[in-house]
Amino acid sequence: MEVENGGNKEVVVANKRSFRCSDLVLRFLALALTLVAAIVLGVNKETKNVSMEILPKLSPLTVPVTAKWHYLSAFVYLVVVDSIACAYAAISLVITLANRGNKKGLTLLIMISDLIMVGLLFSGGGAATAVGLIGYEGNTHLRWNKVCNIFDRYCHQVAASLFLSLLGATIFLVMVSLSTLNLAKKH
Amino acid sequence: MGETETQAVLHHGEKRATAAPEAPRSFAVADVVLRFLLFAAAVISVLVMVTSNEKKTFSVPLPTNPITLTEVTRTSKWRYSPAFVYFVVALSVAGIYSIITFLLALLALMKRSMPTKLLSHIIIMDVLLLGIVSAATGTAGAVGYLGLKGNTHTSWAKICNRYHKFCRHIGGSIVVSLIASVILVFLVLLNIYALSKRIPK
Repeated sequence: MEVENGGNKEVVVANKRSFRCSDLVLRFLALALTLVAAIVLGVNKETKNVSMEILPKLSPLTVPVTAKWHYLSAFVYLVVVDSIACAYAAISLVITLANRGNKKGLTLLIMISDLIMVGLLFSGGGAATAVGLIGYEGNTHLRWNKVCNIFDRYCHQVAASLFLSLLGATIFLVMVSLSTLNLAKKH
Repeated sequence: MGETETQAVLHHGEKRATAAPEAPRSFAVADVVLRFLLFAAAVISVLVMVTSNEKKTFSVPLPTNPITLTEVTRTSKWRYSPAFVYFVVALSVAGIYSIITFLLALLALMKRSMPTKLLSHIIIMDVLLLGIVSAATGTAGAVGYLGLKGNTHTSWAKICNRYHKFCRHIGGSIVVSLIASVILVFLVLLNIYALSKRIPK
């Protein structure tokens, strides 16, 4: 009886360990990805000299034009959401490390917060993708001209940041799925 | 051997019997109601978005003779923006998915239990759908905000001062889809709580 109990206990602990280890790795990955995404988009600024023709008879004027990340509110939203997710990932990393007894309430709280992060990160990624697509392709119906033919590096940086934050959102989604499966396994 | 097996089965049954009252019936009822609300929200937001097309006539000066005005008819359609197309597709997927899970939840309500494996898979699908719907809300919200305020830096002019009905429909649709994503969050929360209630102590 005692031996059986001990064996059972060991199996359960091993299971928890393996899940927790992958959880820690994923959490750290999410932290790094959202941090890099926020920084890449947050330092995004490009100045270009654009020649403008004011009158057909005059020689074209060269005007420096600057594109900054905070000119578009969708990018501001994405940077804020990335920062929130990054800070939350750091806090939850500490909580998961400290939560050695695997308290049920704390685990549920972390799952719910992960879920909210999924929603926030996906909506921020969607918003920035929509604005970036308008900048890349333009919209002839609304006469919104594209800007990516002028600002190359700016657009590349936005695309990189978008990719990283959507990857971070996917990692949060995987974390929620893994902890759900873990919860179902305990049944 | 047979005896131990039957004992195990009995033990298992006992466990089930003790575990059953832990996940109250109100959870299943709330699940069904929330899934119906999700379906309603998805359908409403798709319908409101699809019916947003607006035709308007503007008086524009002629390019050859700027003093005389001509009438120009322009139509603003949701299909012109890829963000709104994605929005409609995503919310339609949410509607179809919510019908299927509504039927599953109804079945579980009548049979009084849902298998744990199915429940965990439904939670994971719900989280995936939450990602899709919130991304759709984000895309449509970003484009709608640009249409409402415009952007002077990129010289994207606002259009909501000209197309009133179009903008009202799109704003309403975005608000309803936001409600849909909040309902999804509550659904996942409810189901995770129900799943954790099932764990035998």
